[in-house]
Amino acid sequence: MIIVEQKPVDEIQRMIAPYERVLILGCGTCVTVCNAGGEREVSFLHDALLLAEVESKEISHTFVEHTVKRQCDEEFLDLIAEEANDVDAILSLACGIGAQSIAERFPEMVVLPGVNTSFMGMAKQWGVWDERCTACGDCRLDDTAGICPITRCTKGILNGPCAGTKNGKCEVSPEMDCAWILIYQRLERLGQLDKMRRYYPPRNFRPIPRPRRIMASPSIVAVGGSHG
Amino acid sequence: MVSSKTDTLRQSSRTKETAFDHSLMPPCQAACPLHMEIREYIDLIAQGKVMEALQVIRDGNPFPSICAYVCTHPCEESCRRVQVDKPLAIRALKRFAVEFGGDRMIDLEADLKYDDKVAIVGSGPAGLGCAYYLRKLGYPVTIFEAYHELGGMLRVGIPQYRLPRQVLDNEIQRLVQIGVEIRTNTRVVSLDLLSDMGYKAIFLTIGAHQSLRMGIEGEDSPGVIDGATFLREVNLGLKPSPGDKIAVVGGGNVAIDAARTAVRLGSKNVSILYRRSAQEIPADPEEIEQAHQEGIEIHYLTTPTIIKRTDGHLNVTCVKMELGEPDTSGRRRPIPIEGSEFSDEFDTVITAIGQAPQIPQAFNLRIGRGSTIQVDPVTLTTTRAGVFAGGDAVTGPSTVTEALATGRKAAFRIHDYLQHKYPKDDQDKDEVISGELLSKTAESIKTRSRQDPEVVSPKTRSKDFRPIEKVYNWGIAVAEARRCLRCGMGAEILFQDKCASCLTCLRVCPYGVPFLDETGTIQIPADQCQACGICVTECPAGAIVLRKPYDRSHISDALAHAFRQATETKTSPLIIGFCCQYGLYGTGLLSGFWRQAKAGVQIVPVLCVAKVEGQHLLRAFEMGAKGVFVAGCGEMCARDKTSFWVNQQIEKVRKVLDQLGMGSERLQFFDPSVMEEDPTAALDQFTEQIGGLYLDSLLKQEVKS
Ligand SMILES: Cc1cc2nc3c(=O)[nH]c(=O)nc-3n(C[C@H](O)[C@H](O)[C@H](O)COP(=O)(O)OP(=O)(O)OC[C@H]3O[C@@H](n4cnc5c(N)ncnc54)[C@H](O)[C@@H]3O)c2cc1C
Ligand code: SF4
Ligand code: SF4
Repeated sequence: MIIVEQKPVDEIQRMIAPYERVLILGCGTCVTVCNAGGEREVSFLHDALLLAEVESKEISHTFVEHTVKRQCDEEFLDLIAEEANDVDAILSLACGIGAQSIAERFPEMVVLPGVNTSFMGMAKQWGVWDERCTACGDCRLDDTAGICPITRCTKGILNGPCAGTKNGKCEVSPEMDCAWILIYQRLERLGQLDKMRRYYPPRNFRPIPRPRRIMASPSIVAVGGSHG
Repeated sequence: MVSSKTDTLRQSSRTKETAFDHSLMPPCQAACPLHMEIREYIDLIAQGKVMEALQVIRDGNPFPSICAYVCTHPCEESCRRVQVDKPLAIRALKRFAVEFGGDRMIDLEADLKYDDKVAIVGSGPAGLGCAYYLRKLGYPVTIFEAYHELGGMLRVGIPQYRLPRQVLDNEIQRLVQIGVEIRTNTRVVSLDLLSDMGYKAIFLTIGAHQSLRMGIEGEDSPGVIDGATFLREVNLGLKPSPGDKIAVVGGGNVAIDAARTAVRLGSKNVSILYRRSAQEIPADPEEIEQAHQEGIEIHYLTTPTIIKRTDGHLNVTCVKMELGEPDTSGRRRPIPIEGSEFSDEFDTVITAIGQAPQIPQAFNLRIGRGSTIQVDPVTLTTTRAGVFAGGDAVTGPSTVTEALATGRKAAFRIHDYLQHKYPKDDQDKDEVISGELLSKTAESIKTRSRQDPEVVSPKTRSKDFRPIEKVYNWGIAVAEARRCLRCGMGAEILFQDKCASCLTCLRVCPYGVPFLDETGTIQIPADQCQACGICVTECPAGAIVLRKPYDRSHISDALAHAFRQATETKTSPLIIGFCCQYGLYGTGLLSGFWRQAKAGVQIVPVLCVAKVEGQHLLRAFEMGAKGVFVAGCGEMCARDKTSFWVNQQIEKVRKVLDQLGMGSERLQFFDPSVMEEDPTAALDQFTEQIGGLYLDSLLKQEVKS
């Protein structure tokens, strides 16, 4: 899941300054799950912005709030087309994908990001989210016992651990597990320690040709060819 | 609930706050023959709103103070709290509310709307209840009673130390006040006569006053008296003198009442002979215990076989029994043990082995099992047109609330009959929540011991007929009421389409209630949820609501109200305190706030601070508060983690206050259970600090301008 974090209210306040009527738009999927952009956060931010107005003694904005099921599919955005007509800017609490999809769907509309899209990860417990995947496009989890060294090792090395490992922790922070020790322990449990003894050649670090596009079949005629 | 759905009269006077109220009927209410809104009035007592509690009580029961003394409280038997520790002391809480409120909340209005006269034969609870409701519906009603005083068994059966006659008289007085006509000393001998007198409908509630006979030799000897007659004589002021040594035969409440009454009349040695064992004895355990304390001995597995009167005494031969196979009643049949006979001398023998109705032949009614009147269970009609019956005369000896409930039902069925309406079956359609708490849920509920009301010491109480049970004081009543689990009021995922399956509810619930079903859908089982509201506050999708939404929605209303008040009183700087309503009287801190809220402090009472959301706090500032605080009730809270969750909301809002340069110190959480300093001092300090900040800001403004 995509993990995002709400931007500080003062930053949002500066961002919306030029626009009078603002639609605060939430998203019902990932950002709801990570407590940053679902219906509740939308209305919390709404109240926070109203408070900011009151505090600055300048009532210059009107806000409307709405939360769609998923911002990253244009059809869901069709449902807010009317509301979008009445505002000067949309403050999106979805990830960067959602915000961009608004920009694509409403070409004339100003889109503002209310959150910072942080990483792909999972909930560890209530209120704690951890990064787990870098979307490198070349998954090697089979070799590393289901633990991604590129994401979880600070240095992203493919043949760990490095000399900085100490008591299972990383030299960068005594609170951070050393990913390679975790990999070792799990390979041992799986009886696959031989994978530890192999040497993994450096990966192809050629810049990934972005943006990437995946097509279900070659027969599909996609707008913009094989790249979005 | 039932009352609001079936009949207008029973409609709760409190309007349902929101269009939807999905709360399910709790087991206590389902077990109450009157289906009183127990959970609601207990919750109001827990909030210290005793007058409102009394209103709910009066809405559901025409004679609550009678029930407050003598109800056999089937509700307590079904209370789910028993799975955690002990059931709620529901009857005692009701008594607290009615004693505290006295005559208040009584509605004596009853317009005459119809001409059709109704006769009620018998003035026991069934008759009184029916008269009350018929009169309220607008009919002219006459009660005919054979004795010179009203009340039936309430008057002539139940001893005064359990039901003071003043209480009964007060309730009956209200019937007179609403215009019920009363004819005492009038035994009805013919129903035709009543019809001739112009009564269009008759309700027969003549009770079950005929004591059953033991069928043994010597039963009719002088000195042998049946329990109902004995109690009637005492209750009607005849002052019998039963002598020193008394035997009471039987094991029901009447036997216990007779034995305890004999003690109060001065008998020195009172014993009860019961033919089964302590396991089977039907009398209330609490009553048995109190009888023991008063020196009454119960001889189990003992039954008299012959009574002989010799020189002023009764020589009673008894036989010991053993228990055999279960009989039709499901209890094990007592069988005499051969050769176990023994005899003893007594001054009086009181037989209390049960009663049956005695229906005059002239009534011409079909009589069923146990000499009871046969009626249609839905319409309560007898075999004669326009004649209805209910109470002990139909069911055999039962209870006061059962009688009141049939009385109420009869009133509505008679109304249907007189208005030529099709009688409807008022069986409750409301969904009742299932009784079982999973052991997992029960274990995560904090135990808190039941507090029974004090009883006068055995030595003092057995001297006379003065009432023996004391009333709760305020603090104990509130504490006892707070034990209620508020069954059936919990959370529900109202908007499944919004649910993002984020698992927040599953992770935050202190009781582990929400679970993922086999299809991967979150379920919040209504019968396990403890209605704390934490998941409602935390759900990021706004998909969960409380079944009784008022518990949460009232916060916004109360906030608006606080601001109106502040504007009227021109309060500034204004401080808003979101305070646990349950704690108001539970802790000195909050009761202080409430009664003499400090200058500039407006309280928003909340039903547990866990229901306060970040938005509420932001809104308080937005509306102009200079400082905001949340104050919990401390240890009395039903949950240990409440503070943790309140803190989540507080920290979130504080972050915003800092980001806006307003200063996070403007928002405080007072949790009396973890605070080291005196909470009142902490509040003083807070008010001063906010006052200081306010002055600073005024100065700055002046400098600027
Ligand atoms: C000793 C004792 C203790 C009890 N304790 C409790 C208790 O603690 N809690 C509880 O819930 N229940 C208790 N009960 C049971 C309860 O009192 C009865 O179930 C209840 O009173 C039945 O009400 P009723 O209206 O059907 O009849 P009753 O209360 O019996 O009233 C019937 C009335 O009809 C009158 N009557 C009869 N025939 C005629 C006629 N022909 N014309 C005019 N009037 C007539 C009678 O005089 C009587 O007043 C007790 C009963 C007894 C005997
Ligand atoms: S806990 Fe409260 S609501 Fe539940 S059965 Fe007992 S009294 Fe009724
Ligand atoms: S309201 Fe409380 S007890 Fe009920 S499911 Fe939600 S968190 Fe659990």
